[in-house]
Amino acid sequence: MRWIKSLAVAVALAPTATWAQTKIDFFFPVPVDGKLSREMTRLVKVYNDSQKEVAVTAAYTGSYDDTKLKAQAAAKAGKPPAVVLMSANFVLDLKLAGDIVSLEPLLKADGTTKAKFLDDFWPAVHANAIVDGDLYAIPFQNSTPLLYYNKDHFKEAGLDPEKPPQTWAELVDAAKKLTRSDRMGFGLPEGYDYMGWIMEALSMSNGGRYFNEEYGGEVYYDTPSMLGAAQFVEDLVFKHKVMAQGVVEGPALSTTFLAGKVSMMLLSTGSLSFVRDNMKQPFGVAFVPRNVRNAVPIGGGSLVMFKGLSEEQKAAGWKFAKWLSSTETLGGWSRFTGYFSPRKSPYDTAEMKDFMAKNPEAKVALDQLPYAKPWFATYQTVAVRKALEDEIQAVLNGKKKAPQAVKDAQKNADALMKPYVDQTALKLP
Amino acid sequence: MTSVAAAQAPFDASHARPVSGHRLQRRLLPWLLLAPSLLLLAAFTYLPIGRVAWESLHDKPHATGKTLFVGLGNYTALFADKAFTQSVANNLIYAAGTVPASMALALLFALAVQRATRFNAIMRAILLFPSMVPLVAAASLFFFIFLPGVGLFDHYLAKLGVRGANWLGDPDVALWSLIGITVWKNAGYYMLFYLAGLTTLPGEVLEAATIDGCNAWQRLRYVIVPLLAPTTAFVLVIALINVLTQVDHVIVLTKGGPSNSTKLVLYYIYEQAHENFAYGKAAAASLLSVSFLLALSVFSLKTMERGAHAAS
Repeated sequence: MRWIKSLAVAVALAPTATWAQTKIDFFFPVPVDGKLSREMTRLVKVYNDSQKEVAVTAAYTGSYDDTKLKAQAAAKAGKPPAVVLMSANFVLDLKLAGDIVSLEPLLKADGTTKAKFLDDFWPAVHANAIVDGDLYAIPFQNSTPLLYYNKDHFKEAGLDPEKPPQTWAELVDAAKKLTRSDRMGFGLPEGYDYMGWIMEALSMSNGGRYFNEEYGGEVYYDTPSMLGAAQFVEDLVFKHKVMAQGVVEGPALSTTFLAGKVSMMLLSTGSLSFVRDNMKQPFGVAFVPRNVRNAVPIGGGSLVMFKGLSEEQKAAGWKFAKWLSSTETLGGWSRFTGYFSPRKSPYDTAEMKDFMAKNPEAKVALDQLPYAKPWFATYQTVAVRKALEDEIQAVLNGKKKAPQAVKDAQKNADALMKPYVDQTALKLP
Repeated sequence: MTSVAAAQAPFDASHARPVSGHRLQRRLLPWLLLAPSLLLLAAFTYLPIGRVAWESLHDKPHATGKTLFVGLGNYTALFADKAFTQSVANNLIYAAGTVPASMALALLFALAVQRATRFNAIMRAILLFPSMVPLVAAASLFFFIFLPGVGLFDHYLAKLGVRGANWLGDPDVALWSLIGITVWKNAGYYMLFYLAGLTTLPGEVLEAATIDGCNAWQRLRYVIVPLLAPTTAFVLVIALINVLTQVDHVIVLTKGGPSNSTKLVLYYIYEQAHENFAYGKAAAASLLSVSFLLALSVFSLKTMERGAHAAS
């Protein structure tokens, strides 16, 4: 009940206390767990106490999907949130739908440019923040896939726990030695959303690109690099028999890994602290194994600003967004959550160097960053992603062969993107 | 009730005579009394339905910002979409799998715990328990029960020497796993209606049947089940509405996968509107499912009226 009282007090005091303040809303999702939500609320309070011009109301809005829904609903109702933490690969679709605003005018008012502003951000996170050449988002929290492995299982199977597999061939070899009647050598998170990201990691490790980073109307599903990745997945289940048949969702995979029923898995760096807190046996992490080259996709969230704000609110939102994405805030948030910071400068601070020395797994995630590439984002990102996921899931269940699967995925994805392609790349004079 | 009063009010108005203050009052009174519920219904039911109907005839192609009139274009697009036809087929299988099974179980439970003893009171509470767990929470529990290899289900199957399936990851099995959850969840709730129905059965008829030499099965088949017809009709409607309106377990457990195998119509609508920016298609599918639900309730009200007549 106390919060009701304090709310009443706050409401009563509001008109007198905020005469010169601009009030804005900030929507944020928490894809992992509750302590992140408390930390974000604390951060916003620190910001509100630190200055007098802007009063931010932070609202926890569920998952990334829920946050997108709620932000769009609030905008339709005429009360757009000034700043929203949004899944980085929704930025393109939101721009195409006309829901978010370009940040270029705000950069200009600050007397800076996109190039200068992004200079301190890792190159891999740039593409997901830019649409058609303009800045639409500020990267905030990021992740990549990682190989997690059970060190005890490695010892039992006669493998060196300090030498995790680096290539697909070594991965298959290790997985075969690790697989027993009651245990699988390897696992992938295969539910919707995760499956697409993992296929992006595998096809990129196979030399591929998955999608056109600069144009929202092209994906590269029916290509040798994706075919190889899909065939690899099929072989892991049916030829090498080191991976469970059928689809295993991400949470189911991490639970079986913690229970010692899977010896190696690919999972997000964002799950590092979860695994560290819950794993009883010693575990290690390593780069995603390569076939042609080391490459992983970025994942995570960026800050965007919604349409329909007054000029004051826009300026206030911009101030807050800059504070949230400052070196200091990003460094603290990264250490707290396990996400890596999209800025490079936090890693030069003493706190971060200390943290890295104490958490060697976080160091592996950071070392993989130079090999990171943008997250897929196209016209109708989710549907185009599912076009591939449905086919790979059919492969995992033995309902389809990899070559047919990538062909069908390409066909369906092309049909989904056709309206956009027709009004852009194929709209000719 | 409301529909009768609403129909009479304008009828009154057709008596075109000079209106005294008293008369005006009498004419306005029904509308005044109806106003609160009419307002709420208008704001939260009629207007949204009208809006959805309007949207289903328009399209706002993603990335253009324009709203176009497309006539029945959204409906043709809907039926050309394999994901939609599959979600309709999934929904039919889901209905066939959940409705008869949960109703039969409900009747069985009701018959078993019909007599008011202390033991039966406990049994009733236990049987009712699943329906008091929110579907979201139930689905989260079943996530652990259905975990491939290490879940509770597979754990006990392994003790019996049976190798479990990938309950939520195999497109041939996943929908049936959801059907199992639904039956587990709803049977106890429907049991309540059957328990109420059983108490209204005329005792003399049952006695007469026993005296005439009916065995237990014959009594059930020829006396109890026919007399319970109005209850059955009512439960059937509730069960069918649940088929089209319960989607929490899909969202929590499978998100419609693997390969669309558990995509129900309501999830399809959600996906079109909120993932694919295809509001026109979502509106068309919504209107179809609302029309179906309306037809269903009209049909069932008629049947229940008839059932009530037959019973009296």
